[in-house]
Amino acid sequence: MEKELKKKIEELEKQKNEYLAGWQRAKADFLNFKKDEAERFKKILEYASEDLILEILPVLDNFEKAEKEISKNKENSNYLNGFLNIKLQLKNILTNRGIEELLSISQKFDPNIHDAVEIIEDKNGNTGEILEEVQKGYKLNGKVIRPAKVKVIK
Amino acid sequence: MSKILGIDLGTTFSAMAVIESGEPKIIENKEGARTTPSVVAITKNNERLVGVLAKRQQITNPTNTVFSVKRLIGRRFSDKEVQKDKKLLPYEIRESSDQGIEIKMGDKWLKPIEISAQILQKLKQDAEEKLGEKIDEAIITCPAYFDDSQRKATKVSGEIAGFKVRRVINEPTAAALAYGLTKKKNQQIIIYDFGGGTFDISILDVAEDTVEVKATGGNTHLGGDDFDQKIMDWVVDKFKEDQGIDLSKDPLALQRIKEAAEKAKIELSTSMETEINLPFVTSNASGPKHLLYKLNRVQLENLVADFISESIDLVKKTLAEANFKVSDIEEIVLVGGQTRMPKIREEIKKLFNKEPCKEINPDEVVAIGAAIEGGILQGEVKDVLLLDVTPLSLGIETLGQVNTVLISKNTTVPTSKTQVFSTAADSQPSVEIHVLQGERPMAQDNKTLGRFMLDGIAPAPRGTPQIEVIFDIDANGILNVSAKDKATGKEQSIRIEGSCGVSKEEVEKMKKEAEIHAEEDKKRQELIEAKNLADGLVYTTEKLLKESGDKFDPEAKKEIEEKVEELKKVKDSDSMEDIKKRTEELSQVAQKAGADLYKKEQEKKPEENEQEKKPEENEQEKKPEEGEYKEKENK
Repeated sequence: MEKELKKKIEELEKQKNEYLAGWQRAKADFLNFKKDEAERFKKILEYASEDLILEILPVLDNFEKAEKEISKNKENSNYLNGFLNIKLQLKNILTNRGIEELLSISQKFDPNIHDAVEIIEDKNGNTGEILEEVQKGYKLNGKVIRPAKVKVIK
Repeated sequence: MSKILGIDLGTTFSAMAVIESGEPKIIENKEGARTTPSVVAITKNNERLVGVLAKRQQITNPTNTVFSVKRLIGRRFSDKEVQKDKKLLPYEIRESSDQGIEIKMGDKWLKPIEISAQILQKLKQDAEEKLGEKIDEAIITCPAYFDDSQRKATKVSGEIAGFKVRRVINEPTAAALAYGLTKKKNQQIIIYDFGGGTFDISILDVAEDTVEVKATGGNTHLGGDDFDQKIMDWVVDKFKEDQGIDLSKDPLALQRIKEAAEKAKIELSTSMETEINLPFVTSNASGPKHLLYKLNRVQLENLVADFISESIDLVKKTLAEANFKVSDIEEIVLVGGQTRMPKIREEIKKLFNKEPCKEINPDEVVAIGAAIEGGILQGEVKDVLLLDVTPLSLGIETLGQVNTVLISKNTTVPTSKTQVFSTAADSQPSVEIHVLQGERPMAQDNKTLGRFMLDGIAPAPRGTPQIEVIFDIDANGILNVSAKDKATGKEQSIRIEGSCGVSKEEVEKMKKEAEIHAEEDKKRQELIEAKNLADGLVYTTEKLLKESGDKFDPEAKKEIEEKVEELKKVKDSDSMEDIKKRTEELSQVAQKAGADLYKKEQEKKPEENEQEKKPEENEQEKKPEEGEYKEKENK
């Protein structure tokens, strides 16, 4: 009878210690989690504007397309000036938020910052060099948020 | 103890997760994304690229960029599937010496396991970097229809990548694990996995200690990408009709249309209508052309109706093969991004007459399940620590028949919440605690869980007594509500069982009703708040007049009394405008009178101070005169 009780007590002691350790660990995990959350918040604030900017960049892209087309006709020069001013306004807002253009034309294709959409035969060109930029690429506070879409020489 | 990495090694995308603090968490890769393209490439400079970098240079290097290697792993070259896929792959494959497959990469021939290993290796490195610790063990998932050879190959890939692969588990089982469905025994579950490139159906039978795959089905070449293609075709056809230009011949326009099509498809899962807007999409002799079309949800559903009905037919076929009836299925789990489409969810609900499990991100659910399996193996996920949540909010009824929530829905239990309330009327001798469950702001629209009274409250002006109400839910979902009068120490409580055991259907129904009535509920709540505010103001103003009325200017006092009467007249009406207006008026008049009262008190005291000030003032007045005089001299 006594032996059984002793065994039971041992078992319960073991279980108690396990539960206590688990409880302490859960508490520690929670406190560590809070610290990690603070770090995460910092990161989020840093890149919080990234999603919004990614949604706005296509608008800037379209302004640039419009610019190319409208500038074909000299008669449009005053309309073009108006457009360019609006485009500049948009660009300034983005620049103030930490947006920088990525270099493409004549650069060597680099998958870290370029996304190849077409390869072009060009006997005069160097293989792997970027011939044309189809869509600009941008980085935000040093991080590439959208690679440039480019045509690469075969 | 190092963590076990749960890996969803997908055909087009892979994802990974670990257990952190008892909860599964998706790990982002080095590029900051939660999923990694299952693409591997070798560049002309013999540089190895994995993931999104490999994808970006795919067009410049099609013969050395390997994707969808999962279609080849563990198979024989002579397999019918392989011969079919071979036609669609731009990279070269051949039969290996052991009737397996070899893939040409650069100047080497690699086995599919070596390619998968490269993907796994990148995931390992990125996970170790993100977590700041070494990861040696992994759980990798594979389709339920993989045979022994394919499973072994998956395991070996993991080993080549440097993992000790604890288990290779079925993707549908991982999905079921993620939803905790393997806890309940004797359940039949169907997994509906609609990804980017493949559609997989699995029927599982959860028995005492095992999860058995009863049947599998699907279409290995049907996915969300096909939906995008339908939208693209629609746009191109429309443009041809409207403008006479065939954009399918223009690769760049096509690229823009493809992106816009996918974006539109995704938007239509949450909006009823969207726009496909591509200014300057092309130009010809007559100038630039713009593309601007509206696409609504019904139109999209019509475009892809065949795909959706095919998927439902395949479900029925797979059920028949397992010898199950639709009614045998207890749970449906949705996996894969395409299952976000409302029409698909609707069709599934229609077929099975129940709500599917869809709360976990469908792109991540398999990786999460794999992580949970890892946690179970490590003992981190103890059964007793798998915690529940309250599916619906819990609260009590307060002044104005309002539902005041103490524990909001989806709170993890066990938990406890305390709030101090008070009486609504002077000398109120008791309070009734009416315990409510639900999301509606008005008490009557929610479910009554219980009621009890706390009496013996000492007579006091309204708002003075302090009644502490505690809501406590234990790990078994038993709710204890207690109310204690802090002054007298009197306490009453009630014990309610099964507050967590609400069926999924009921939860959905209540949430839907709350949404539908949200507008009118909001208006009613604002009206109640305005009335309560008016009531409170009338009470405090009348009290003030009673106690200090004689201190007021008789004119002001009369004005206040008038305003109180006006407010009293409207506060029981239902016109929020009137109530707010009269409340404002009374508030202003009372405040002004109050301010005047204080000013009068202030004016009585400092007469001595004024006399002391005067000599100082005189001095100050002198100085500027002296200054002026001096300056004039200098000039």
